[in-house]
Order: sequence, then C-alpha cells, then structure tokens
Amino acid sequence: MRLKPILANPLLAVPALLALSGCNTGDYRLFHPLSQVAQVQWWATLFELGIMSLIIVPVTVLIAVFIWRYRKSANAKYDPSWSHSLGLEILVWAVPLVIVTICGIVSIRTTHAVDPYAPGVLAKAEAAQPPLDIDVITTDWQWLFIYPDQHVAAVDELVVPAGRVVHMRLTSSSVTNDFFIPGVAPMIDVMPGMRTEDTFDAPTPLSDTGFSADFSGAGFSWMQFELHIVPQGDFDTWVAKAAASPRQLTYTAFTQFAQPTVNEHATISYFANPTPQLFETVVGAAQAGVVYPVPDALTTSVASLEGGPVSAAATK
Amino acid sequence: MQVAIQGPWSPLFGRLTLASIPYHTPILIATFAGVAVIGLVIVGAVLYYNKLGYLWREWITTVDHKKIGVMYIILGLVMLVRGFADGLMIRTQQAMAIGPNSPGILGAQHGFLPPFHFDQIYSAHGTVMILFAATPILTGLTNVIVPLQIGARDMAFPYMNALSLWLTTAGAILVMLSLFVGDFSAAGWVGLIPLTELPYSPGVGVDYWMWAIQISSIGTTLNAINMIVTIIKMRAPGMSWFRLPVFTWTTLSTNIIGLTAFPVLGVALGLLGADRYLGAHFYTAGLGGNLMLYTNLFWIWGHPEVYFLVLPAFGIFSEIIPTFSEKPLFGYTTMVAATFAIAGISWAVWLHHFFTMAAGPDVNGFFSIATMLVGIPTGVKVFNWMFTLYRGRLTFATPMLWSLAGLFLLLAGGITGMMLAIPAINYSVHDSVFVIAHFHCMVLLIGAAMFAAVSYWFPKVFGIQLDERNGLMFFWTFIAATGIVFIAMFALGFEGETRRLAYIYDPAWRPMLWTEEAGMMLYIVSIGYFARMLYVSLRDRIPVPADPWGTSRTLEFLTHSPVPFYNFAVTPQVNARDELAWRRDHGLEKTQPDAFEVIHMPCNSAIPFIIGMLAMAFGFGLIWRIWWMFGAALLGIVIAVIIRSFDKNLGYEIQPEEVAAMERNLATAGIIAEQPARKPLTEAEAH
Repeated sequence: MRLKPILANPLLAVPALLALSGCNTGDYRLFHPLSQVAQVQWWATLFELGIMSLIIVPVTVLIAVFIWRYRKSANAKYDPSWSHSLGLEILVWAVPLVIVTICGIVSIRTTHAVDPYAPGVLAKAEAAQPPLDIDVITTDWQWLFIYPDQHVAAVDELVVPAGRVVHMRLTSSSVTNDFFIPGVAPMIDVMPGMRTEDTFDAPTPLSDTGFSADFSGAGFSWMQFELHIVPQGDFDTWVAKAAASPRQLTYTAFTQFAQPTVNEHATISYFANPTPQLFETVVGAAQAGVVYPVPDALTTSVASLEGGPVSAAATK
Repeated sequence: MQVAIQGPWSPLFGRLTLASIPYHTPILIATFAGVAVIGLVIVGAVLYYNKLGYLWREWITTVDHKKIGVMYIILGLVMLVRGFADGLMIRTQQAMAIGPNSPGILGAQHGFLPPFHFDQIYSAHGTVMILFAATPILTGLTNVIVPLQIGARDMAFPYMNALSLWLTTAGAILVMLSLFVGDFSAAGWVGLIPLTELPYSPGVGVDYWMWAIQISSIGTTLNAINMIVTIIKMRAPGMSWFRLPVFTWTTLSTNIIGLTAFPVLGVALGLLGADRYLGAHFYTAGLGGNLMLYTNLFWIWGHPEVYFLVLPAFGIFSEIIPTFSEKPLFGYTTMVAATFAIAGISWAVWLHHFFTMAAGPDVNGFFSIATMLVGIPTGVKVFNWMFTLYRGRLTFATPMLWSLAGLFLLLAGGITGMMLAIPAINYSVHDSVFVIAHFHCMVLLIGAAMFAAVSYWFPKVFGIQLDERNGLMFFWTFIAATGIVFIAMFALGFEGETRRLAYIYDPAWRPMLWTEEAGMMLYIVSIGYFARMLYVSLRDRIPVPADPWGTSRTLEFLTHSPVPFYNFAVTPQVNARDELAWRRDHGLEKTQPDAFEVIHMPCNSAIPFIIGMLAMAFGFGLIWRIWWMFGAALLGIVIAVIIRSFDKNLGYEIQPEEVAAMERNLATAGIIAEQPARKPLTEAEAH
C-alpha cells in the first residue's frame, strides 16, 4: 500500500528515477535555461511545481494516511453518519480558489514576460540595441534561415552572435511546423500563408539542436537544425563564408528548394543574396494557393519508404 | 470526380486496386493472419454450438439497454487491445530507432517501421483509444447502469439505443478495415491541418479517419439525447433530483457535453470533407481558407470530449469509494455542483491546446485562467473523496484499488495540467512528450475508472463473481507498468523530446526510452492477467447475491443478479439518496413485492443493425470514392428509416404469472438466457 503513492504519482518519483538511472542532468535541457526567456519559463515551472505541491503533497499524504488508518482491520473510529461539514466544504472550495488566483497572476505576468512577439524581459535589451532580424521559412522538411541584413541564407543551420536579441519572422511553404530550441527559444507555430514571430536572447556561446515540435509528415523526424551562438567575430566570418556560396536565393531557386526533401543527414548548405522580400513573396504565394504536394510515393503505400527516406541528394 | 486525385480510379472499384492490399508488409500480413484465425475460431464456435440464431435474436437485434451496454464494452475492450498494440509498436520503434547508426529491419531504415507506417500507427493509437475504446466503454457502462440506478425499465428510446451502438460499431469496423485495405491517416488523431488536405495526404488514410469518426460520432450524439431524456423522464417514483446517484449526475452532465460538442466535430470534419472531395477551401492555407479555423473547431469539440470521458470516471469513483468505505459520499451537493462547474468550464478552455499558435498574451492569458479554474471543482472532488475515506471502514476489493489508484493518477495529471495551463511554461513543453505523459495520466485515470467499474458491476450484470486473484495481479502489474512508462516519459519531456518521432536523433534519450519499453512489457503481462481473470470467472461461474459486495448503496443492487431483462419486477419506490443503504439500515432490503404487475417491453428490431452495416458501406464507398456504393448505401438507409417509421410495433407484455415464475427461477431472466418468442401487442390490446 505504501509504495503506491510513489508508483502512481510520476512527478514525485522523477527525481528518484533520475538518481537511479544515473543520468547526467546535462541531458535535461529544460533544467539549464540559457536565455532570459527560457529562464523565466523555467522559473515559472519551478514556481508552479512548488505552489501546486503545497496542495498536492498534503492531499497525497492524507489520502495515503486515511487508506492506512481507516482500513477495516485497523478497527479505527468509524462514523458512517459523517458526510457533510459546511466549514470543510467552504474550505475545499476556498483553498483551490486561492491557489488558482495566485497561479493566474503568475500566468498573466509570465505570459507577457515571454510573449514571443515582444517579450517583456527583453524590452530593455531591445531598446539598447536593435535585435538581429532573421526570416525563417519551413519547407517539407527543411529549415531555411534568411538573414535579410547580412544578405545570406542557411539551410538547417542557425548562427547568431552572442549577446544579441534575435527577432524572427516565421512562415511555412507547406504545412504547419513548430519552431523550438529547448532552453533558448520558446515554441511558436510556423504556418503557411501566415507570419508568426519569435524573440529570444542569446547571451553566451552555445551549440545545440533546434527542431520542429509539430508533426509535419513523413520527413518530420529528420527535421532538425543546428544552433550555434558564437562571438561576433565568428559570426562575421560565418556570414562571409555563406556569402561566398555560389548558389543565389532567387524565388525560382526557392521553389526548387521547397520540393519535399528529407534532409536525412542534416546537411548544411548556404545561399548568397536572397531576393529582397522573399519572405513576403512566400507568404503571398501560399495565400494565392501555391502548394508543394507530397508525391504519391511518399504517402500512399506503407512500404514506399523502403531503403530509407528520399535523400537530399536525390531531389537536388 | 470533383477534385484531382493521384492514382487510378475506376467507376466500379473507385480508388480500390489490388495494390491497396498491403500484402507486401509482413507486419500487416501477420496481423491479418492473427485476426483471421481468431475470427475463424469465433465463427466456428458459434456454428458448432449452433448459437447463430441465439446471437441474432438475443444480441444483434436486441434493444435491451444492458445487452447494448455490454456490447459497447466488448467493442471497446477489443479496440483497447488494438490501441495497446499500436502503443506497443510506437514504443518499440522508438526504442529501436535511436541515432543514425541504429539498424533497420522489415524495410525500415531505422527500427522496424518506415516513417509513413509509424505515422499511421500513432494516429490510429489516439483515434482508437479515445473514440473507439474509452468512449464506447464509458457509453456502455452508462447504458448498463444508469437505467438501473434510476429504477427505469429501459432507456427512453430503446430502438435508438441500438442504432447508436451499431453506428459506433460501423466506425470501429472502418478503422480496423484500414489495416488490411488501404492505409489509415498519418496526420495525427487530431487531424493536423493542413496536413490532412489533399496535397499533403493524397491517399485514403485521412478519409478512413474522417468517415469512421463521423459515423461513430452520430451514434454518440444519439446516445447523448437518449441518456438525457432517460435521466429526466424515466426516474422511479421518489427519485427526486437530489436523490440521484452521483454516477447518474455525471452521466447527465457528460451527455449534455456530448450533445452539444459532437455536432461541432461533425461540422469540422464535414468542412474538411468539402475540401477533400469538392475542392473547397475552408482550411487550405491559400485561396481564402483558414487553417486555424479547423484547429479551433476541432478543439471546441476536443476539449469538452476530454470531460465527456473524465466526468463518468469521476462518477464511478463517487460510487465505489463510498461502497468500500461503508459511508455516504462526503459533500454530495458540492460534488454535483463541482460536476456541473467542470462541464460548464469545459466549454471555455479549448484554446489551451494551441497556446503556441500565436494568439496574443491577453488571449492566451484568458484561456490560461479559464483552464486553471477547472482545477477548483476538480480539487473539490478530490477533497470530497478524501473525506469520504475519513472515519470509514475501508476494504480493498479490486474496484476500490482501481479507484484509489485513479485518485493518485488524477493528482499527477492535475499538477502537470496546471503547469501546462500557464502559457509561459507551455511554450517550453507544448508538443513535447511531457504533454503526452500528462494526458496519459488523465486517460489512464479514466482507464482505471473503467476497470474499477467493470470489476464493480460485472457480478451485478452477469450474476457471477469476477475472479479476484487474477484481478489483483492485473491491477498491480498495470499500475506498476503505468508508473514505469509515464515517469520515464515525463523525464523525456524535460529532456526536450517532442511527440511523434519515427526516428530518435538524440541518443541521450535512450535510457528513458528503454525504461518505457520495459514498462510496456509489464503492460503485456497485465493484459495476460486480465484475460485469465475473465477465463477463470467464466469457467467457475460462482453465483453472487443481489448485492455482491454487501455494502453497496444504490438502486441497481436492489434487483437480482444477474439483472432480469425487465430490470425490476416491480418499479421500486425511492425513499432516500442512497436507497439500498437506507433500506439496509431499516431492515428492508429483503422485502418482496406483494403482487406482480404486467410489464410492458419493447420488441427487438433488426433495423438498427441493418442501418449500421449500411452506414459502414456508405463510409467505405466515400473513402474509396466508389460512388455507386455510396449512393446505394445512402438509399438503403433512407428506405430502412422509412420502413421503420411505418412500423407500428407496440412492444409486448409479460403477464404477472410469468414474472412470478421468472422471479422464482432467476436464471431464465438473466442476460445470458434465451427468451421465448413473444407476440407484439395489437392495437386493440394496447387500448
């Protein structure tokens, strides 16, 4: 009996299990928020866990105690007439109400603090130095990061200079994706024919992986990108490297790039000179009904992916 | 042909070709062989024991709410096993396909499932578990129990009840058919938009998903109407509103949700159908469509659907915990108020399923607070169950163990739910497996309630004991497996693993994924114990008294076990909230009626079954675009409805002498017994 609360209440057992499994918490990316935005999120998580524990832990313990104390064989005091108590019934409404009120205030404040469009925690930083603008376009199933001011674009690699705030506009040429870098950038949906925004700060150098969190079809599991937060100097070097790419990002080049492609080995490539307003063009095209249909072979037969997904090389 | 579709089409077979049969996929061949063998054994047994006529007369054409409920539950349990098999394959694929060097078998590059097959499996897992396992089982339980709890002879509309069952069954058959003919949807159980549009899902998978849900949800909506009317109109004398058992209260609230929510789903899927079949642009990204409209409509149904499932579960706990605490439920009135508060708020929270869809912070904040408000009445319920235990005399039969485990699952699901309700937190775990672990706590609490209810009411309905030894083993293995799988899954959420991955690119997740797989093995053991529990119970057939537990409190335990097909020989007069407990306290539980009266019963009908099968053909014709089949089935349904509406069947009567005879020999009136053919009343007799 006494084991049951632990077995059945997963959260209570998470720390225990972590210890047992000998896991390095370095794998627990949400435990180590890098950006201020992610730090607010993690703080809110801990706060919420704490305040909910104020009610969940006593209730869990009390239920366990009652189960033990009032088992029939214990012959404890038995009072079958007790089924109503005005005071207690007011209390059981009042306690959750208080907790929910506190959580509600925290919710509103933190939601404004990490609002992907204009996070309150970054207002000062944004005022001090204008953020780095990046346009993000997802295709089936790759990421295209366009740096309008640097006049370069990168496939499946996001490089940002440390110390800058990054402001993104996101859209999709095909289906809905969800931009996410755990510990750095909050999730935001990426939808065709629409523009969403995401803002985060990149205080110190880091190399990590970002990905789509929202399922987008057969190549979804291979849809990661590399994140590199680097010193300004390295960023400039990287921009120069990308700018030297022989491939020019015209709209025609984009329409070829946007054909369904599983970038199985997450091969990184670069484009120079993206057409101005490419982002707006892609949004407009989707609104005008441009789609990149997934070939029959990828979807109509279960065995069609025999020998692996369509490789990047095969479609280029 | 209204829209351009990829692949061949012929007038006779529509899109169906020999290539639609997945004979080149070993997993499906093996599954088909298994299903075929089981099917042949069942058909063979029915023929060998010459039970075909019995099945037709007593089950397939029945309008008896108990038999319909039992068939709902059997359907749900079969689909539960199917859904579990899907879950097992998801977990096994993720345990195998870790990192770029992981081996692949059976045509997959990593693991044993190519992505497109994996995507179908996880989509089917959700669809099956929510709509074809949990929903039918809970509908079945309310069908069996609610009329008994309120002292009714049957449901308000027995014929419509049978129709609901067969429409749900038609949907379930379509889902199963997609295993062996064509594909199932690979766009998630929620139908991720615009992935479900023709350019991105050109096959028949989305159509299977869409029509299976559409047809079965008509059944669910009809059932909701039936339940509401039954509870309002069919209560026994003395059963005033505030004497209703809490399970009946929760059934009422849940079906109000069902009646109002399912039509929204019908519209959401109907508009998707217009896009896919007629080339409309309701949800497309371009040409004036709005894909966010679908997401909103789906969750305007989808969130109430969650409470549609969880409220009956709360009702079940509210019946079982008092019985095994030998005390009335603490705070009955607040419990009823909390039930309706949850039902009411359930309408105002749908947006929390897509906080990341870039609504502003104030909109997200509104839905965040609305969502957290659900925590208040839910908290009240937990407190009330807790105080019901206080100063009780607790015994731990399996129904009680399942209920208590359900409370702990609710606490775990509740704390994580409150976390997810805060947008700032949600932005870091939305669409991660943390969410999956959270809602599995909730649906497994519903699962715990279902198993609690099955073990609680099985002896009542069938008149025999449910084997307790294997039942206990089933419970402990199931709960242990739940702990192992979902603790690991919460951990993976913090590691940043997202949902629906056919291939695991981060090897750091391996330890937790393998832990989950170990938990899945334990689930297999628990299913073995469940099967053995049923086998031992049916083998030994130990009869039970009217109240198998000795401490039950509500009206359904007043009549005999097994419950006679006419429920109560004489409609009971209700004197108190917990009627049976009141009679026990006053020494009245053994009283017999002075005299029997004529009992008026509805006649069986084959039309619900026929309409169900036609609805399946209707769906199949639409899915494969076989227009003649679609048209013929639709015409058939219209004709069947017309025939039924001219049918002046007035039901039949059982004379008091026969009732008296059956009351003396209960086996002749139980759920398994075959009834003699009875003549319907003529109009003259009815007057």
